[in-house]
Amino acid sequence: MSHRLPAPLGDVIDRSSVISFTWNGKKLQGFEGDTIASALLANGEHILGRSMKYHRPRGVLTADFWDPNTTVQVDDEPNVRASHRKLADGMAVSAQNVWPSLKFDVKAANGLVGRFLTAGFYYKTFMKPAKLWPAYEHVLAKFAPGGSVDLDTPHGRYDKRHAHPDVVVAGGGPSGMAAALAAAEAGSSVMLVEHEHQLGGHLLWGSNDDRAAANELAAACAAAGVEILTNSTVAGRYEDNWISISQRSHPGVIERLIKARGKTLVGAAGTIERPYVFQGNDLPGVMTSGAAQRLIRMYGVKPGTRAVVFTANESGDSAVEALQSAGISIARVVDARAGEGITSASGSKSRVKRVTLSDGTTVECDLLVTAVGWTTPTSLLNMAGDRPVYDADAARFFPAGPPDNVLATGGMIGDGSRDELIAHGRATGELAAGRAAVVRHRLQAATARAAAVDGPEPDYPADERTPLDRAQHPELYRSTTHGIVDYSEDVSSKDLFSAAGEGFDSVELIKRFTTATMGPSQGKLETVNTVAVLAEARNETIAEVGTTVWRPPYAPISLGALAGRINEPTRVSVLQPWHEANGATPILAGQWVRPEHYGDPAAEVRNTRTNVGIIDVTPLGKLDLQGPDVPKLLNLLYTNKWMALPIGGVRYGLMCAEDGVVLDDGVTARLGEEHYLMTTTSSGAAKIWNWIEMWLQTEHPDWQVHVTPVTTGLTSINIAGPNSRELLGRLTTDIDLDPTAFPYMNVRRGTIAGVQNCIAWRIGFTGELSYEIHVPSGHAVHVWEQLLDQGADLGVKAFGLEAQRIMRLEKGHFIVGQDTDGLSKAPVTGLNPLLKLDKDDWAGMPEVAWTMESGDHPVIVACQPDNGSVVPEEAAQILRAGTTEIVGRITSSRMSPTLNRSICLAQVTKEFAAPGTSLEVLLVSGERITATVQEHHAHFDPEGARLRG
Amino acid sequence: MLLVPCPNCGPMNAADLSYNGESHRRPDPKTCTPEEWRTYLYLRENPSGWLLENWYCSSGCRRHFKIERHTLTGELRAPVLPGRKPGATQGDMK
Amino acid sequence: MGKNKPPAKYSAAGLLWRGLRKQSWPRVWREPEFKSTYDVVIIGGGVHGLATAYYLASNHGITNIAVVDKQYLGSGGSGRNTAIVRSNYLTPEGVAFYDRSLDLYNSMSNDLNLNVMFSERGHLTLAHTDSALRTMNWRAEVNKLQGINSSVITPAEIKKLTPSLDVSADTRYPILGALYHPPGGTIRHDAVVWGYARGADAYGVDLHQKTEVLDILVEGGSGPEGKGPSGKVTGVRTSKGDIHAPVVVNCTAGWASQLSNMAGVTLPITTHPLQAAVTEPVKTFLPTVVVSGSLHVYVSQTDRGELVFGASVDPVATYNMSGTLEFTEELAGHVLELMPGISKMRLLRQWAGLCDMTPDYSPVMGPTPVDGFYVDVGWGTYGFKAGPVSGEQMAACVANGTTPELIKPFELSRFTEGTLVGEKGAAAVGH
Repeated sequence: MSHRLPAPLGDVIDRSSVISFTWNGKKLQGFEGDTIASALLANGEHILGRSMKYHRPRGVLTADFWDPNTTVQVDDEPNVRASHRKLADGMAVSAQNVWPSLKFDVKAANGLVGRFLTAGFYYKTFMKPAKLWPAYEHVLAKFAPGGSVDLDTPHGRYDKRHAHPDVVVAGGGPSGMAAALAAAEAGSSVMLVEHEHQLGGHLLWGSNDDRAAANELAAACAAAGVEILTNSTVAGRYEDNWISISQRSHPGVIERLIKARGKTLVGAAGTIERPYVFQGNDLPGVMTSGAAQRLIRMYGVKPGTRAVVFTANESGDSAVEALQSAGISIARVVDARAGEGITSASGSKSRVKRVTLSDGTTVECDLLVTAVGWTTPTSLLNMAGDRPVYDADAARFFPAGPPDNVLATGGMIGDGSRDELIAHGRATGELAAGRAAVVRHRLQAATARAAAVDGPEPDYPADERTPLDRAQHPELYRSTTHGIVDYSEDVSSKDLFSAAGEGFDSVELIKRFTTATMGPSQGKLETVNTVAVLAEARNETIAEVGTTVWRPPYAPISLGALAGRINEPTRVSVLQPWHEANGATPILAGQWVRPEHYGDPAAEVRNTRTNVGIIDVTPLGKLDLQGPDVPKLLNLLYTNKWMALPIGGVRYGLMCAEDGVVLDDGVTARLGEEHYLMTTTSSGAAKIWNWIEMWLQTEHPDWQVHVTPVTTGLTSINIAGPNSRELLGRLTTDIDLDPTAFPYMNVRRGTIAGVQNCIAWRIGFTGELSYEIHVPSGHAVHVWEQLLDQGADLGVKAFGLEAQRIMRLEKGHFIVGQDTDGLSKAPVTGLNPLLKLDKDDWAGMPEVAWTMESGDHPVIVACQPDNGSVVPEEAAQILRAGTTEIVGRITSSRMSPTLNRSICLAQVTKEFAAPGTSLEVLLVSGERITATVQEHHAHFDPEGARLRG
Repeated sequence: MLLVPCPNCGPMNAADLSYNGESHRRPDPKTCTPEEWRTYLYLRENPSGWLLENWYCSSGCRRHFKIERHTLTGELRAPVLPGRKPGATQGDMK
Repeated sequence: MGKNKPPAKYSAAGLLWRGLRKQSWPRVWREPEFKSTYDVVIIGGGVHGLATAYYLASNHGITNIAVVDKQYLGSGGSGRNTAIVRSNYLTPEGVAFYDRSLDLYNSMSNDLNLNVMFSERGHLTLAHTDSALRTMNWRAEVNKLQGINSSVITPAEIKKLTPSLDVSADTRYPILGALYHPPGGTIRHDAVVWGYARGADAYGVDLHQKTEVLDILVEGGSGPEGKGPSGKVTGVRTSKGDIHAPVVVNCTAGWASQLSNMAGVTLPITTHPLQAAVTEPVKTFLPTVVVSGSLHVYVSQTDRGELVFGASVDPVATYNMSGTLEFTEELAGHVLELMPGISKMRLLRQWAGLCDMTPDYSPVMGPTPVDGFYVDVGWGTYGFKAGPVSGEQMAACVANGTTPELIKPFELSRFTEGTLVGEKGAAAVGH
């Protein structure tokens, strides 16, 4: 660590704790508290990367999070900010954007042809020959900056947290700490969020007094109960002060996303020091005054041996002191306030060597420190709707005035001594607490907790803070030479001039054309310089040019943190463990995991048709409807009539949306005088519940109907097959299963396998004699096992979703959303007798009426390929013979184990719907086959003798 | 995220509610013309400004309610349950 | 009428020549004077408006045109979309239309003498359920009949094309297959805007930026102030003054309802934000465009190495473009479902644009009940890919006074006639 300064310099490093790491494979050492960059500089490694386009060597410029060219690869993590990330033992650090090595980079040859590679050059070339563009593109992609992703990176530990603080303070400098302290003392719950690793802001690299004051304030915050989050960033401010905080310091977690509903947000982000634009401004060894001070005072690193300091403000003056304290010789202080300036810097490939001043003299040096002014990071305020306004006297943008629940303090709005900044922070904290109290009161008063609200609403405090002064500052953006404006994008002021000359002369257009401000520094360093150069090119003022809007996040945030713990729940029936234990192949059906089959779906079909099968149909949506007006509701939402359904009756119904398109279907049973059970499709359960509530609450609030979803409260089992009556009979004592006592499309309640209050109804989705039973879920496993036990001699076997799909297709039952689509109006189903146009009203009725009147709609038909061994794919198109005109498509198809042939449902235009019509079906393979439209939808037992038996 | 005041539950994160869009009157299905019905189905004022719209407290009390929202600024007025008249501007929740 | 003057020819030789001579390039377009009369006023300086102007000039010889935009060229959806192009739609109408657009995109760099960086990298729409797979098959079959290169491929084939995707079967959203569309890809959206702007300007079209339309002037209509059906458009009132013109074309997104309401025309549109985000750059690893409808996400990697993400529109209609945290959370969760290895990549920036959603996921194009007032609106989330063909067809519509066959299905009248377009079937995520 040849460039390490002696203590007491280096406040934040612990020289007793040595850390080993590698840099491009070379073993190096640093101290606990070092950033990667400070450790590298301490080892004399001052080139940390190469620039994106010209591959120029780059070093430390700002020595903080925004340092544009010090992003490195750390193990499997790309784009790590070396000037911010703390060094950790065993880190493998390597430079990015270099090939083949950092020291010798072939692409640096781009620099030689730079004059041809002006901003946006790629728009002007590579057009011809067109077929070569992919090859050019391939080469351009090789220049993609950034590190590498290791696709085997596991999803590490990320987490999220919700918080409800009164006040969130973004920025832990003197004003921010004072604001947090004052707010906490006023009774607010406060989160104080600091981007860097410790509280203090610019005091950390200030005088001894500054650092003492920082420690004192930080201790006071902690004592006052402020929640302090360091190495954390307020990343976004969204509507109603919904605030995202990226916390990189939570133990055991890579990064945590805190979502805080702050009642007041205090912006105390301070200022960001601007680089100066001049020829050679990106040479390693050129850095901001803040960078020099951070390196020396915080990390005890010597950034050079002989320095030129170009200063326009106190920060530059302070940097001179810091350099002197580090034993660095000051070759020259160039004072902008005295009219002095610098025009260019030059050096070897890897380091600044001399600086040319405005008066033409040159000064030898290996360090050039600039202090030319500040950028206000108004990002969070922009997100709150604030648009910054330029102040030429202070040479920076200031917030125009954020909304009432967002306050700004400190460097964001003015300048002052340490005490003035603290005083303003305290006043801001008190104001924030006062406003938060009002908001808290209103929120509580508007909720069920209203009774618990203390006292009357406090008065809303007005903003009576004494404003901070704005210090005069010379406008210093660019010298007389051209230099780099955007370090991450390699965009120079010359590029900006030429883009403006070409007509890309508004701040948004120039940004898009040159990509200035679009890189990983997010314009924090570059935006104002871009605006200033554009203003110069247009011969306008900076105020006239205006600035761009900073978008979230304030600082980049990992996808892992945004995702948090990956948690995508599925739903299962209580029988699922049984299914899995018994060889079921699972299938995802919407949110549900269900058994697709238990090995052989065709065998399951044959067994069900021959003996008896049972299937878990719990995902079927189930709504318990009670009240005197249920029939009116059913009459309104189903297309058919419901006023006369007797107790014990079950009826099928079809639902339409208001545009007449089929929405859902299912059966509804009348269990008692005012008690019904409705079933919906599995995927439609939630939607239909919402749909019913909407009609009840908005159109017919006078109707008395109570709706309770019971989808998982009841486990549903369908018992299907010739032996189903016998099987169920063995399990029930109080349900009379005699077909005359319990006919098809009827419902009974009773005891099954000793479980009371079961519901059983006879329906026929599979086409077999079948009983669907709905059992309280707590007893469902027992009932299921009893069915299997008691029915062993009857040949009972479980069957899965696939067997059910086959059987329903054999029976010709359509599935909403498969055989119908987003434009299928009710008449498409062919269920015209169920479309009761003589009712007063039902959802979708007018469109259905007009569609029936016009007759212009496709219809669902059953068809069978003439070659029964061919199963056309679902989605195979039906064409007018010999043409490519689409006249329909296959919507469902299977090989029928019952009929030993392929069977289909299809949607076809009316012209092709008549029974006996020959259809030409285009298979996915390109082959065309013929199929014949059947008389009935049911391929099997069209009279329904089996299910009615 | 917007805080939307449910008349029952108080201010809720908008993501905990369902948005059912612009509120409009349903024509009499027995007597309406196709044009009237399709105006109801499809045509929308879609203003950049105050809009009376339908929300559903889908993760809370399951009440449908109407509320006036400014579609540019996100400001909200007092919510109303169906069948009642929209009231005056509610106190600012923000 | 021909071109005023040919624009400076862009070429590698030109770059070299000007580089050597240190000569700068001329302006891409003029800063025109504001005139009070034009033959056609086009509202909206995005891809649609500029392409309409360009084709009116190049195909029909109509050059006395003003394109007005309240901000800068390409400031709306044209500059905010994720620049994906494809033609594998569900309906024959949709396929024919977008295929023409893809043709125009393919030859655009040459036609406009500006490299729009069309990257024909292939487009994958993933299916995570058997019903999604069925829809993919349906689209593939319709596409094939129209001569579109589009087919359903297996997880193993997907893995080969795009190794970063997790195609294992035990994920929450297993990848069961994908609709693969090799001609789909990405394009540099801003370049398309600038190419059309430069081309139109060269024909003499006046491009008025920072010129906001405050009212549309209509006479003789049946509504209030003589606006509305059976009226006749006479011009527009702008922030810079009135413009008289017998033809006004509304080529906006986000403000389409407002502007049409100014003419007394109500549209079947609700406006929702569509959000997008971009990561920091990393070395390229994702060679295709990947879309997952079930997970509401699409992603591609730019040549600069950034991942560009989009989703489906926000559920709540709003004109506020500030974006939401929830979008980034859901996006990240879903992207990591697809590509678990990229959790350490960082989101750099999020933004939003406004999308005008129609009930049938298809645009509204052509004449309106107000004579001379045309619309090219309702572009939902797919306006960018349709820009060139929309411009070409709208130009023909305006110049000839009849609606071309290609856009006939998209006329406004379909909503009163109840003849909606069938893209609704597969449009959960329309990218």
